[in-house]
Amino acid sequence: MAADVCLREHVSVTTRIGRRSDRRGRRVLVAALAAAVALVGLAACSGDVGPGRGPTDRIVLAETQAPGEFNPLLGYGRLGVSPIYEGLLTPGADSDERLPDLVPALAASRPERIAPRVWRVPLKTGVTFSDGTPFDSADVVATYRAAVDPAVASAVSTYLAPIVEMKADGPQSVTVTMATDADPSPYLLLGIVPAERVERIPAAQWALNTDPVGTGPYRLDSLDPDQAILVAREDHRDGTPAMRRVVYTHVPDDNSRAQLLQTGEVDGASLPPRLAAGFEGRDDLDVVDVASADWRGVSLPARNDFTADPAARRAMNLGIDRKALVEDVLDGDGEPASTPISRAYGDAYDESAQFPYDRDAAQRVLDAAGWRPGEDGIRVRNGVRASFPLLYNAGDTLRRDLAVAFAAAMKKIGVEVLTRGTSWDEIETKLATAGALLGGGETPYSIDSQVYDALHTRVPGSSPYSNPGDFTAPGLDEVLDAARESAPGPRNDERYRRIQQIYSAEPSQVFLAFVHHTYVARSAGWTHDAPILEPHSHGVIWGPWWNLPSWSPEA
Amino acid sequence: MTATIGAAGGTGAAFGRAGRLLPWAVLVVVAAVALGWPMLAGEQAADFGRALRAPGAGTLLGTDHSGYDLGVRTAEGLRISLLIALACAVLATVLGVVVGVASVTAGGWVDAVVMRVVDGVNALPHLVVGVVIAAMWRGEPVAIIASIALTHWPAVARVVRAELLEARTAGWVEAARLAGASRTFIATRHLGPAVGGQVLVAMTVLLPHAVWHETTLSFLGVGLSPDEASLGTLLGQARGDVLTGAWWTLVVPGAALMVTALACAAAASSLRRASAPPAGEVWR
Amino acid sequence: MTTQLAPNTQSPGEEVAAQCCSSDPGSVPRRTRGRRVVGLLGRRLLMMIPTVVLVSLGVFAVAAASPFDPLTEHLGDDYQSATASQREAVTQAHGLDGHWFGAWWRWWGDVFSGDAGWSSTQSRPVTDVIVDRLPFTLGMSLLALLFATVIAIVVGALTGMRRGGLLDRVCTGVAAMLAATPPFVVSLVLVSVFAVGLGWLPAAGARRPGDAYTVAGLFTHGVLPCLALTISMIPWLLLTMRAAVVDAAASEAVRGARARGIGGWALLRGHVVPVSVLPTLALLGTRLPELVAGAAIVESVFGWPGLAEALVDSAVALDFSLLAPLAVGSAVLVLIGSAVSDAAAVWIDPRIGLRA
Repeated sequence: MAADVCLREHVSVTTRIGRRSDRRGRRVLVAALAAAVALVGLAACSGDVGPGRGPTDRIVLAETQAPGEFNPLLGYGRLGVSPIYEGLLTPGADSDERLPDLVPALAASRPERIAPRVWRVPLKTGVTFSDGTPFDSADVVATYRAAVDPAVASAVSTYLAPIVEMKADGPQSVTVTMATDADPSPYLLLGIVPAERVERIPAAQWALNTDPVGTGPYRLDSLDPDQAILVAREDHRDGTPAMRRVVYTHVPDDNSRAQLLQTGEVDGASLPPRLAAGFEGRDDLDVVDVASADWRGVSLPARNDFTADPAARRAMNLGIDRKALVEDVLDGDGEPASTPISRAYGDAYDESAQFPYDRDAAQRVLDAAGWRPGEDGIRVRNGVRASFPLLYNAGDTLRRDLAVAFAAAMKKIGVEVLTRGTSWDEIETKLATAGALLGGGETPYSIDSQVYDALHTRVPGSSPYSNPGDFTAPGLDEVLDAARESAPGPRNDERYRRIQQIYSAEPSQVFLAFVHHTYVARSAGWTHDAPILEPHSHGVIWGPWWNLPSWSPEA
Repeated sequence: MTATIGAAGGTGAAFGRAGRLLPWAVLVVVAAVALGWPMLAGEQAADFGRALRAPGAGTLLGTDHSGYDLGVRTAEGLRISLLIALACAVLATVLGVVVGVASVTAGGWVDAVVMRVVDGVNALPHLVVGVVIAAMWRGEPVAIIASIALTHWPAVARVVRAELLEARTAGWVEAARLAGASRTFIATRHLGPAVGGQVLVAMTVLLPHAVWHETTLSFLGVGLSPDEASLGTLLGQARGDVLTGAWWTLVVPGAALMVTALACAAAASSLRRASAPPAGEVWR
Repeated sequence: MTTQLAPNTQSPGEEVAAQCCSSDPGSVPRRTRGRRVVGLLGRRLLMMIPTVVLVSLGVFAVAAASPFDPLTEHLGDDYQSATASQREAVTQAHGLDGHWFGAWWRWWGDVFSGDAGWSSTQSRPVTDVIVDRLPFTLGMSLLALLFATVIAIVVGALTGMRRGGLLDRVCTGVAAMLAATPPFVVSLVLVSVFAVGLGWLPAAGARRPGDAYTVAGLFTHGVLPCLALTISMIPWLLLTMRAAVVDAAASEAVRGARARGIGGWALLRGHVVPVSVLPTLALLGTRLPELVAGAAIVESVFGWPGLAEALVDSAVALDFSLLAPLAVGSAVLVLIGSAVSDAAAVWIDPRIGLRA
C-alpha cells in the first residue's frame, strides 16, 4: 500500500518523461509494427502456398504411416497392390462393387491344378528387379519360405497358413501345395522380394525396409524420416509410367492432412468421412468414396453374465439402427454389416440373414430372457445388471464415434455400455471382461480368410482379437471348417449362406458396418483406373492411387 | 501466472474495490454454471444426426461432434476439469505442506537433502513427466491427478518451508515462547496462520495451472478418454471440426477455459496481495 | 509455467527489482564476485551428475512399472492380428524381457560407446533423431525467445514508465489474457485464421511436401510456429520487466536523477533500463521449462520436425529408448538454465548471498 502511494506521487514526474520520449517512443513502436507487417507480407508473398505449381508428372500424397517399411513381409504390398512390389497375381476390377478378379502379374497365367491340392504357377520371363537382377522361381520360393519362417516373425505368416509348401519347378514355374481344396489364388498375391535380400532375422530389421528392391514399376529414390520419393523405372517390362515421381509425406494427424489439402500443399490423402465431406463442392479436389470389406464391430466379453446370454447378444444386434449409424457417423460412406460377409461376395451373401432394426423386438427378447428394467432404466436379472465396458483405441476418432453411437443406442433398450478410450495393449489384457471396438477385413479377397477367424471359436495360436468372446452358435464351427476345406463354387456359396443363417440365430458379436474409405484427390488433367474393393488398409497405397501406372494425362 | 497478474496490479488497480471482488464473483458464476447447467439439462444422449449444428434455433450454443448440446457439454467439461484441478491442487498442497513441515522440523542435513530433492524434481519439465505418467495409465482420472500433483508439490514445499523458517524466528514467536507458551500453542496459533495464508494462495495459484495441464494432456491424447467431456477433449476435437467450419466448437470451450484461468489467477493475486506485504516495505 | 508463490521466495533477481534503495553494489570487488559465480556454477555442475543418474533411473523404473507393453510399438498395426508365437519371436528379437536395472546399465554403456538405441516411434537410431531434429528446435526456440525478450523489454519499459496510461492498460490486459491461454489454443487460433482461413501461410511442416529444405521454405513455414511460441513467452517477461521498471522508476537513484533534471529518453536509457533489464535477462534461465513445454506443444500442432515434438511423441507412445536421453537432456538444460540465471544474478548484484 505504501509503495502504491509512493509511486502515485511520482506520476506527475513520469508524465514529464512522456513529453520528450513521446515522439521517440511512438516512432519506435511504429517502426516495429511496420517491420512485423513487412515480415509477414514477405513471408506470404515468397511462400508458394497456392495449388501445386510443380512439374505436372509429380504427385504428392500425405500418408498416415511413417515411410521406411517397404517390405511385403511387414505388410507393404501383401495383397499385391503397391508401386514397388508385385505378386504372382494381383487384384483387378473396374469397380468397387464386387470382389476383384485375381489376374496374373508375375505369373504367366492363372494357377493350374495338377493334382489334388497341388497347383502349378508358370512365371513370366524377362522380368527384372529394380536393381537389375533377373526374376525367377527361386525368388518366389525364398519369399514364401521367409513369410512363414518363425525367425523372420513376419506379419503375414498366419494369412499364408493354408499353403503347405511352395517349391520351384524349374526356373520359370513354381508348385504350390495347399492344405485344403480351396483355390490358392488369394494366397498368391504377396509381393515378391529377391532371394538375395532375404535374411533370417526379424523382418523389422531387414535392410530391405529402407532399400526396397521389387519388380514393380517404381523404385525408391530418396527416403527421409518423414518423406519418401518414388520414381518411375525406365526399364520396367510394361514401359515407364506417365506419373514419374510420387512423393509420400508422413502426416499422421487427420487435421494436419486436411489442412495441407486445403492449402494445396498435397495432392491427395485419406481422411475420416466427415472431414472429407468438408471438401465436397470444391472444383480442384475430388472426394472419392471407395467401398471396402473393412468392417467395424463390437466384440463382447466372455466373462460377463449379460453378454454370455445368447438372447442378450441377439437383442443387441436387433437394437442398433445400422442405417442411421452409417448415415450419421460415417456420413453415408459405408454399408450396414450384420456379418463379415458383404454384398460384394455375390452369391455367398445372404440378404435374409441381415438383422433388421427392431427396437421393440429387441426389448421383447430381453424381457423374455428375464432381463427386466431396473430403477435406473438398466435391465437386471437375478441381481446382475445388463452392463459391460466397451474399449476402443483412443487415437481413432471413427472407432470412438462408433462406440459412442453404439452405447447411445444400447441405452435405449436398457443396456448400459461404458465406453472408454485406451491403448491396444490395455485392450488386449481386458478382452475377457470388456468389449472392444474391433476392425477386420485385412485379407478380403478370399471369403475364408475374411470370415473364419472372426466367427470360429478360438484355436491355440490365433490372434487375441479373433472372436475374443469365444462365443459360437451350434454347428457353426463345423460348417466353417467344411467351407474352408472345399473348393469354391455354388456348393461353397451355399455353405457360406448357411453360416450366416446359423450366425444370425445366435450371434457372437455385434458387427456394425463396412466403412468406405474416403479420399480427397486432386486429379485434374489425369485419367486413371477406378478404385477397387479395398481391404482394411490405412493409407494412400489404395484409393485412386492403387494403380499408379494407370494414371495418364487427359488427352 | 499470478506473478504476472499481481505485477500488473491486479484487477483491484484497474477497477477499484468492486474490481477486487470481481474475480471471486466470476469464479462463483463459473462454478455455478459448471455444476448447475448439466443438472438442469438432465441426462444427455449422443445423437450423431444432430451433430455440428450452428448456434441458433434449437440450441443455445450449437452442438458438438457427437450431437451433444455444446453449452451443456462445455459446462460438464468445465466441471470435470475444475474437479480434477481441485483434486490436484489439494493433493499437491498437502504433499508440499507435509514435506515442507517435515523438512523444517527435522532441520540440519535432512533439510538440505530434501531441498536438493525438491529442486531436482522441480527441474524436470512438468509437461513431459505429466505426459509419461498419464500415458502409462491412459484414461484414468487418478493418473492425471497424480501426474499433475507429483510435478507441482515442490513449489508448495518451498513456500511452506520459507514461511515456516521465517515465522519461527519472528519476534512474536520468540515472545510467546519466552512467555511460556507450549509448542502446540505456538504451532496452532502462530505458525499455522502464518503458513496458512501462503498455502491458500498456493492452492489458488495451482488451480488454473492444473486446468492448463489437464487440457494439454487431453489435447495430446493422454488425458481423459476422448468420449468424456473435458475442456481438453473438447478442444482437441474442435481442432478437426473447425476445419469443417464449426467455429463454435473452438470458441465456446476456449472462452470457458480462458475466463476460468483468468479469474483464478486474478483471485489468487488478490489473495496474495491481501496476505503478503507489498514489495519494498520493511516489516520483518 | 513456473509459479511464483510468495515474494520472499522469489529468486534473487526479483529481490533486486523489489528493493528500491539499498547499499552500493560497487563495494564488493569484482574478483570476489567472480569467485562466487565460479563457485556457484561448479557446485551446480556437480549436482547435475546425481540428478542425471536419478532421472535416467527414474525413466527406466517407470518404464518397467508401466502396464504398457512395448510390443505395440514394434508390431504397430499388426498388433491386433499377431499371434502369440509371433509376439514371442519379436520379444526375443528385441530383448524386451529382462530386469529394468540391467536395461538401465546396458543403456548407459551403449550411450558411452556411441549407440543410444533404436527409437520405435521414429523407426531410426536415437542419435540420428537427435542430430536431425535438434537444429529445428534450437533455431525456432531461440528465435522465439529472442523476439519475446526484445518485445517484452521494449513494451515493458514503455508501459512501466507510463503506468496507468492507455498503452499500459491495453498491454497489461492482453498480457494477462495471453498468460491464461494455453499455447495450443494460441496455435489453433493462428492456424485457423492465417493458414486455413486466409491461406497466407502454410499450415504444417517445415517444407513443402516433395521439396527439399530451403531457406525460404523454412522461413515461410516457421513464421506461425515462431509466432505462437513468442506469444506464449511474452506475458511473463513483459510483466516482470514492467514491474522492474516501475520499481526502478520509484527508486531513490532515479528520483535523484530526475531532481538533477535528467528526464525522458536519457533517464530511461541511463538509469532505469540498466537496473531493470539485467535482472529480467538473468531470469530468462528460469523460463526454460516453459520454453520446452511451449515448444513441445507448438511443434506438435504445427508439425514442425523438432526435438520437442519427438519428446512428446515418445512420452505419449512410451518409447523409452528415445524418451530417456531426451528427458535427461531437458532436465540438464533446465538445470543449466537456472544455474546460469543464478550465476548472472550473483554477478550483477553481489548483495545476493547465493552460494549454491
